[in-house]
Amino acid sequence: MSTDTRHATPDTAAAGGSIDWFGHLADQVDFTVMTKNVCKIYHMGDEDIHALRDVSVTIRTGEYISIMGPSGSGKTTLFNAIGGLMKPTSGSVFIDEIDVAQLDANELAWLRCRKIGYIFQSYNIVKVMTALENVTLPMLFGGVPPDEAQDRAVAILGRVGLGDRILHTPKELSGGQQQRVAIARAFANKPAIILADEPTANLDLHTGEEINQLMKDMNREEGVTVICSTHDHRMLDMSDRIVWMRDGRVEKIADRSDVEIEIDTIEEK
Amino acid sequence: MGAKEWKIGKLELRLDVVWSIAVNSLKLRFTRSVLTVLTITTSTAFMMYLLTMARTGDETETQSWYLMMILALVVSAAGVLNTMLMSVTQRYREIGTMKCLGALDSFVLLSVLLEAAILGLLGAMIGVVAGLLISVLLAIADFGPHFLSHLELGGVIFKILVVFLVGMALTTFGASVPAWIASKMPPMDAMRGEK
Repeated sequence: MSTDTRHATPDTAAAGGSIDWFGHLADQVDFTVMTKNVCKIYHMGDEDIHALRDVSVTIRTGEYISIMGPSGSGKTTLFNAIGGLMKPTSGSVFIDEIDVAQLDANELAWLRCRKIGYIFQSYNIVKVMTALENVTLPMLFGGVPPDEAQDRAVAILGRVGLGDRILHTPKELSGGQQQRVAIARAFANKPAIILADEPTANLDLHTGEEINQLMKDMNREEGVTVICSTHDHRMLDMSDRIVWMRDGRVEKIADRSDVEIEIDTIEEK
Repeated sequence: MGAKEWKIGKLELRLDVVWSIAVNSLKLRFTRSVLTVLTITTSTAFMMYLLTMARTGDETETQSWYLMMILALVVSAAGVLNTMLMSVTQRYREIGTMKCLGALDSFVLLSVLLEAAILGLLGAMIGVVAGLLISVLLAIADFGPHFLSHLELGGVIFKILVVFLVGMALTTFGASVPAWIASKMPPMDAMRGEK
C-alpha cells in the first residue's frame, strides 16, 4: 500500500464517478469530507437492506451541516461510513484527501482518535470515570502526556461551562451536562470533524438548543467541521447547510437561507 | 485546492491507561471481583492441599484425588470465563465508545486480560497460603508438631510455584475468550441509542 494511493486527490477520485449534487465545484472547494457513490447493503437473512444508495456529498471545511431524515433513512450508516466505523459495500469516503478504505485497523483508530470527534445521542460518557477523566481519555489514547492532557481537559471543560464540575461522575450530572462533557471530549484532540448523531434527541427543547448553540460556537471558534444529524427541524437554525435523507438516498440539499422558508411551510401545515 | 498538512499516523499502546481502566473496572464491580477471587482461591487452595497433604500411599485414592483436583480447576476456569463474559457484555457500549475515542483492539484485549490477571494473582496468592495452612494444620493435628521436621522445604516451594502458576494460567485462559470478543467488538455499536 503506497502513500500515493491513500492520498488520492479529489480529481482522481472524481474521475469516473458520477457528478454529485455539488457538481464541478467539488474539485475546487476546500472540503473535509467527500463521499463518492457510497452504497451499503446489509444482509438480513434472505433480504438485502440498502442502508445507503449512491450517496455522494461534499462537506466543506469549517461547515456546520445538519443531516435530516426519519429513522432508518441511513443517517447513522452515513455517519459510520464517514467516521471509519464501517466499510461501505461500494464507493469511497475521503477525509481531507485520505481514502478511509485504504487504512488499516491502527490507522483507522488513529483517525478516530485524532481527526474525528464523536457525540452520541445517549452521551456515552464512561460511567466509572469523572468528567475530567472522560475528557482526558482520548488525549491519552492519542499519546498526549498525562499532565498536559489533564490541563487541556480542565480548560475545555471550563469552555463548555462545566468548570466547577470536573470531578463529577456522570450520575451526578444532568443529561445536558453529560452532553457537554461529551462535547468537551469530542473536541479534546482538536479534531477536523465532529460527528454528532442526534445529540439533542434525549434532551428537552431548551437544553437541546443550548447544546446546539455550544456546538455552533465551538464550530466557529475552532474552525472544526460539524456534521450533526437530527429529526427536529427546530434544531436546523444553526446549520450552514442541510441535507435531507430518505431511504438511504440524499433527497435534497439546501442552504439555511432557503430552508427557513420551508420550515415555515412545514409549520403552517 | 487547500491540501491538508497532516498524514495518517499510528497509535501506540498506552499501558498506564490499560492499567487504570482494568483497576477501575474491578473497583466498580467489587462484589463480583471478590466472588471471582474466591472461586480461584477455593480451587487453588484445594490443589495446594492435595499436593501437600499427608498421603496414605494408596494408588487408586491418589488418582481419584487428582481427578477431583482437575475438576475443581476446570470449574473455576469456567467461573472466571462466565464472570469476565458478563463484565464484557455489560460494558458493550463503554468498549464501543472507547474504540470511537481511539482505543486499539490490543488495548481492549489487554485491559480485559489484565483485569482477570489481577483477580488470578490475588486468588492464587490467597489460595496457596490457605491450602498450605490447611494441610499443615491437619497434619499437625494428626501426627503432632514433630511432623514439621519431616517437611522438605524445597519440595514445598516447588509446589507453591506450580499451584500459583496453574491458578494464574487458568484465570488467563478463562478470560482469553471474553477478552477476544471484547477486542473485536464493532465500535459502531456505541453509536446506536440503547443497548
